[in-house]
Amino acid sequence: MLEKLTLRDFRCFDSVQVDVHPETTVFTGKNGQGKTSLIEAACVLLRLQSPRTSSRDEWVRFGAQAAVVEGKWNGSVLRCAQSAKARRLAVDGGVCTRSADYLSASGVVVWMDHADMNMLRAGAEHRRRYLDFTGSQLYPGYLTALRAYERALRGRNYALKKDAVIAWRQADAFARVMSEHARVLREHRAALIDLLRPFVTEHHAALSGVGESASVSYACGQSGDDLFEELISRRGDEERTRSTACGVHRDDILLTLNERDAGSFASEGQQRTLALAMKLAQAKVLHQVRGQAPLLLVDDVFGELDRHRRRALMAGMPQGTQKMITTTHLDWLEEGSLSGQVYEVDAGKVRGGA
Amino acid sequence: MPALDYPPPIQRLIAQLRSLPGLGPRSAERLALWLMQVGPLRVDPLARSLGLLHDTVRACDECGFFIEKDADCLLCTNERRNARLICVVEQAADVLRLERSGAFQGMYHVLGGKLSPLDNVTPEDLRIDSLMQRVQSLQAEEVILAVGSDVEGEATASYIADGLSGLGVSVTRLAQGMPAGGALDHVDELTLFQALHGRRKIG
Ligand SMILES: [Zn+2]
Repeated sequence: MLEKLTLRDFRCFDSVQVDVHPETTVFTGKNGQGKTSLIEAACVLLRLQSPRTSSRDEWVRFGAQAAVVEGKWNGSVLRCAQSAKARRLAVDGGVCTRSADYLSASGVVVWMDHADMNMLRAGAEHRRRYLDFTGSQLYPGYLTALRAYERALRGRNYALKKDAVIAWRQADAFARVMSEHARVLREHRAALIDLLRPFVTEHHAALSGVGESASVSYACGQSGDDLFEELISRRGDEERTRSTACGVHRDDILLTLNERDAGSFASEGQQRTLALAMKLAQAKVLHQVRGQAPLLLVDDVFGELDRHRRRALMAGMPQGTQKMITTTHLDWLEEGSLSGQVYEVDAGKVRGGA
Repeated sequence: MPALDYPPPIQRLIAQLRSLPGLGPRSAERLALWLMQVGPLRVDPLARSLGLLHDTVRACDECGFFIEKDADCLLCTNERRNARLICVVEQAADVLRLERSGAFQGMYHVLGGKLSPLDNVTPEDLRIDSLMQRVQSLQAEEVILAVGSDVEGEATASYIADGLSGLGVSVTRLAQGMPAGGALDHVDELTLFQALHGRRKIG
């Protein structure tokens, strides 16, 4: 459980401390006042990454040297300081040189926002991001393999484009490195989707209630386990396109509703329900594997869910899930289903007890 | 009137300094001003060292480690070292690190970097051809690839192992226990010692 959250020079915040409620903490206010940055900081504190950006120097407030996020998680004080160049991590005052040591003391996170609908409406990268956000919280080697794979891929693609005659031996050297990491990622992603499937089906059925059956399956961007061999057989394609023809960077999740592709055939309401079911399934899998309820961070979408889906979200989360929610309006609060604390956020200041 | 700046010699010095690895514009400026302030007694020996560097020192044609001109390479001419064993490293500094670990008695081969298409480092920029020739002239039995375990290091190892296949030489990599993604300079000597002893065959 997160108890206290302190931000220093994080995005628009100069210095702020928030007492996080054991059940629900709500940040309300107009857009652009910093609500989202507060729950982003909670995500950074627990996961050392943000769903909003991949360049960490964006966290540092303009004109400041370093952004600091600190908080008490299950009794341990976690601290993450990020400057333009370096990151310092500490648990209970002890410096962690390896992020794995830090992460073993922290918790798991589910993040919800408007972009969740992109899982149904937009390209495969949005579904891979969902997989990666989950996978990196479940499997210790996941993120390392992903970063290494992507770096090797960039190097290989550059080598394929650079010269009139492709330097194949060089491209092959990077393909062998990709192949090793692809094996790890493929195994983890396949296992993860197997874990998610029953939960997606179950939550979707409970939400839609009318005999609709949803499912997820893994569409891997390579046909077998040996990416290197497969790339050798795709030389002709790569000569033409000058880029890597297959691999886990082309992975996708197939989302189906009554065995039809949900992206093309589902209505907007059905897509919303499926997106929500996927987030609930993510929470369930994290809970099942890591043995602890996640911290649920909801940016802006809570007030826009209808009453039915809002209730389903609350009821469907694992027991003990702590929630932090940003919202522009509080109409839904009157439903009375919530016990917690409301803060008002205005121009980088946080006021309690609204 | 043009904006005020340092006199051209100082500007040129700053430009020179900031082109050095690890020096940004701010630290280059600070360093230039410091050199200006301390005066010739402090600056002349530095300038002399820089000036003499390439007149007096060169890289050994065989192993790539540094030697004084007209001197023999202490590594390549030492008859007590095992010439059938070649350890391939990225940088000259890695040679010293491995020597200090005391675990290695063979020959070294400094590549001068690692394969990195994104930084425009290709096999031609590294001492890979000379390694192939050396493996044959020394009739090496084993080549140890002691390059880093980051993506570029692994790709370099893979490239060399591929080139050596068919030469009848056994190719090994340092054992697990090396930090993932790390280069040799982050490793203590005991770990290096163990990594050398537990090396595994990759080709
Ligand atoms: Zn030599």
